[in-house]
Amino acid sequence: MSTDAIQIENLTRIFGNLVAVDGIDLSIRQGELFALLGPNGAGKTTTIKMLCCLLKPTGGTASVGGYDINRQSYNIKEIIGVSPQETTLSERLNAREHLNLFGRIHGVDPAELKARSDMLLETMGLAERAKDQVRKYSGGMMRRLSIIIALVHDPEVLFLDEPTLGLDPQARRVIWEYIARFKGKKTILLTTHYLEEADYLSDRVGIMDEGKIVALGTSFELKTSMLDTHTIIVYAWNLTQKVVEAMESNYAGVKVTDGTMEITDKQLDFKEVVDRLHSAGAVIRSAHIKEPTLDDVFIQITGKELRE
Amino acid sequence: MRIFELAVRNFKETYRDPLALGFLLGFPLVFMLLFGAIFSSEDAASFSIGVIDDDNTPLSQAFTDEALAGISVLEVIDYNDAAIALDDLTLGELNAYIVIPPGFGEQVSQNWQGKEADIILRMTYDESDIMLTEQLISMMNTVTRSFAKIEIPVTIDANPIHIETEITYVDFMGPGIIVFGILILIPTSARIMVRDKEKGFLARLLTTPTRPAEFILGYSLCLVIIAIAQIIIFMIGAWALGMDIVGSVWLAFLVFFLTGLCSIGIGMVVASLSNSENQAEPLCWLFSMPLAMLSGCWFSIEMLPSYLRIIANAFPYAHTIGASRAVLIRGVGLEALGGDLLFLAGWAVIVFAIGIILFRRSMRS
Repeated sequence: MSTDAIQIENLTRIFGNLVAVDGIDLSIRQGELFALLGPNGAGKTTTIKMLCCLLKPTGGTASVGGYDINRQSYNIKEIIGVSPQETTLSERLNAREHLNLFGRIHGVDPAELKARSDMLLETMGLAERAKDQVRKYSGGMMRRLSIIIALVHDPEVLFLDEPTLGLDPQARRVIWEYIARFKGKKTILLTTHYLEEADYLSDRVGIMDEGKIVALGTSFELKTSMLDTHTIIVYAWNLTQKVVEAMESNYAGVKVTDGTMEITDKQLDFKEVVDRLHSAGAVIRSAHIKEPTLDDVFIQITGKELRE
Repeated sequence: MRIFELAVRNFKETYRDPLALGFLLGFPLVFMLLFGAIFSSEDAASFSIGVIDDDNTPLSQAFTDEALAGISVLEVIDYNDAAIALDDLTLGELNAYIVIPPGFGEQVSQNWQGKEADIILRMTYDESDIMLTEQLISMMNTVTRSFAKIEIPVTIDANPIHIETEITYVDFMGPGIIVFGILILIPTSARIMVRDKEKGFLARLLTTPTRPAEFILGYSLCLVIIAIAQIIIFMIGAWALGMDIVGSVWLAFLVFFLTGLCSIGIGMVVASLSNSENQAEPLCWLFSMPLAMLSGCWFSIEMLPSYLRIIANAFPYAHTIGASRAVLIRGVGLEALGGDLLFLAGWAVIVFAIGIILFRRSMRS
């Protein structure tokens, strides 16, 4: 048996004519935070649902915590915590009753359940409203509760399906910081279509499109290795025709708009670019290397924008 | 106990919703009140029946003068000649006439002495009026049986016969109305699970190691409490409206309760087959409406064609009506109802098993 917490082999799911998940292979290490990044309809949720034993794979298999998803679903359900994409709560229960329900279903010891619930409610900022029925909660509060419900039985593997979908940036950041605390302690598989989320949180990112994992690596690896061009952006006075010509003769792409010059080439040396501009007579106010984003990676690989 | 935890959650979700609670408890109340308003009026139904007494014993006379005349909705007219009665029936002046054959008095007195003897009454009635004849047959049957079983000394002349049972329209319709109310538990039961499916909460529970039977029983346990409350309201309501309870209240409750379990089980089957309220709703009607027709809660199943009667008897509700009328009107005891009770209990077990199997199948698509 391997030490991988999640091992996916040729996992496939077909709905009618639609191949939702198309033979993916993936291993996620124990304690790793892995982000599946992709647009809506890429197959992220279908993948998670198969791993949680809610959907049968059409082909292939996977194991979670060493248990087979096709044959040992109840063993898997003992050790996973799931926060589904839709905020699915029981409207007329309060936060603590939710934690009690899920804790008791998992057979958590009562004293431990009480202590853990207190801690979870406190860290998520829900302690004060713990006795209010959840239908009176804001979207952000429901999300936070949804995540701690998945944690109340101290699972080995945590599935977070779009944990911050539809939240405002501030609420999103609170949740990110909270999820980040579990890095290294639990194996977490998170899906998102927010680049910043995958970038901020994950140890590794798998970019998913049309049911396939099209790129895999750390956020840094993806950004650096997948891109074959670099860009330097310069803000300067005196960007004369002479300056432009001097740069064009040395670099593949030069674009000038309103005192801003974008220089693009396969190899770019920052100092060399600045020196060339100087000697051509430009007065540089600022210059920086444009950081590649996962968005760039995504566009490069799939030819589409990530955001809808 | 996961079943208990789930049941508590379902119960909280129900009683904290005033609208849902109002419906679940208010519906039986409104239902009984409406029923009361419709049937409580004195002249709701009255029948003229002719009696030809060919036996002409003190017993047959007592039967005519005391037992039959004691039923408020009956107008009893004596005839000497069956041919004249038939004429009146044809003209519509009578709803039916009965002939008390010679030997009737002897048969009754044998029954009184504890020997079983067949009692024969010949009744002629207008077939075209289905509702009336249906009730008439039931009334005759009931009144004759109670007459024949009353334990009094054989010295009739000295002691006038006292008939305790007074059959009214409410007595006849009451059990049917209660059974119809119990049929409405089917959509109620289905809704409680389907709502969780639609909102995704069930999918979330499905990521926990809860087993199919625990889900079904968790939902059902909450519904059992609702069913008990509803049956109590129904029974008190029917009693307040004048339905006699001759036999054991507990036995009648048991009959209704087992039927309630069957309804909950059907609801679980429907819920396991559907993914949304839009799917569950028509499925529920598909079950409950034909079952209402076949149960005998609106009209007796005796008038159904034989193949429909076989179908009707395959479901619990016709048995419930028969058994509950036997307890409530005739005071029949546990030993006589054993078969019906076993049938209802067996049916409940089987329908729950089917529900669990279907739910298991739907857990992972």
